[in-house]
Amino acid sequence: METEEQARNRFQSELEFVQCLANPNYLNFLAQRGFLRERPFINYLKYLLYWKEPEYAKFLKYPHCLHMLELLQYEHFRKELVNAQCTKFIDEQQLLHWQHYSRKRTRLQQALAEQQQPQQQPPPHGNAAAK
Amino acid sequence: MSANTLGSQSDKATKERNKNLYLKPAVFYFYFRELIEMLALSRNQKLPQPGEDTQILELLVQRDREFQDLMEVAQQQGKVHQEMQLLEKEVEKRDSDIQQLQKQLKEAEHILATAVYQAKEKLKSIDKARKGSISSEEIIKYAHRISASNAVCAPLNWVPGDPRRPYPTDLEMRSGMLGHMANLPTNGVNGHLPGDALAAGRLPDVLTPHYPWQSSDVPVGMLPPHHGNDFGLEPPGHNKENEDDVEAMSTDSSSSSSDSD
Repeated sequence: METEEQARNRFQSELEFVQCLANPNYLNFLAQRGFLRERPFINYLKYLLYWKEPEYAKFLKYPHCLHMLELLQYEHFRKELVNAQCTKFIDEQQLLHWQHYSRKRTRLQQALAEQQQPQQQPPPHGNAAAK
Repeated sequence: MSANTLGSQSDKATKERNKNLYLKPAVFYFYFRELIEMLALSRNQKLPQPGEDTQILELLVQRDREFQDLMEVAQQQGKVHQEMQLLEKEVEKRDSDIQQLQKQLKEAEHILATAVYQAKEKLKSIDKARKGSISSEEIIKYAHRISASNAVCAPLNWVPGDPRRPYPTDLEMRSGMLGHMANLPTNGVNGHLPGDALAAGRLPDVLTPHYPWQSSDVPVGMLPPHHGNDFGLEPPGHNKENEDDVEAMSTDSSSSSSDSD
């Protein structure tokens, strides 16, 4: 039986570890060293699924890790992670997805700005003429 | 046909008797005619055999009486037969009624079964929804937390080359709790709980937990699910061979929950 202190430390370390799974490079690291083939590790990944529960999930800063954790339950995914190209692709897509919302916002702002431009142009001309 | 054969009818079934009765009228007629002729003859002749006539007459009366009795019995049987037919019709009607009711009952049962099934499904989904219900305030708080730290949405001024990422970077990982534990020179035993080193006082003070989310935010009940080390795992990053390039875990105050809490 572990003490409360030990349990809390375990909580913190598991929290950190599960969030590291959001990093595709780390996943590649794990795959290349064969961790993803070990049965105990696979069982541990299954155990970590408790982070999906709301009372635990609220501590996650990087929620992408949950998606990665779900994918890691599949053997096919674990096998593919050995490939550096694969993880590079995942990294790229992840970044693009990450930027999706901000891109949408900038596009929206641009559209708004374009709408307002025709209204702002005449006054400068008027001033120049006055001068 | 002698009197004997006529007398033996009482042994047979009514039908037989009736059948014979059908023959009787012809026989009667024949006998009656014979008798009348005999009587006519005897009128003319001085009754040479009176005994025979009386006998025959008596026999005739007797047969007539029997005939009447049998007719009555036949009538009664006819009545009974009619009643039986009526009752049979009734029975048929009731049978069809019962079958009708049976069909309706089956239909009703089917409808009820469907309704009950759907109600159960609905209850299941209500249960599920109730289980997953979270206060909107918490959701908003969480949404703010993960957005403000740019964990799920890239900062608006992000350009390629910016080191920020939607996942913990190398640096963050190394500066975390697990990272520091993996760098311990005395950490040679694989598989021991991370807390052991801390408890044994082998970690420098700076690494004792001081992050806001860990000390005050975590309610006492919020501990990881007990797993009793079934999977006999060796957490990667705790092996000596991985010390140099181990990407350890991050817990600056920015990594796990906290900022705006």
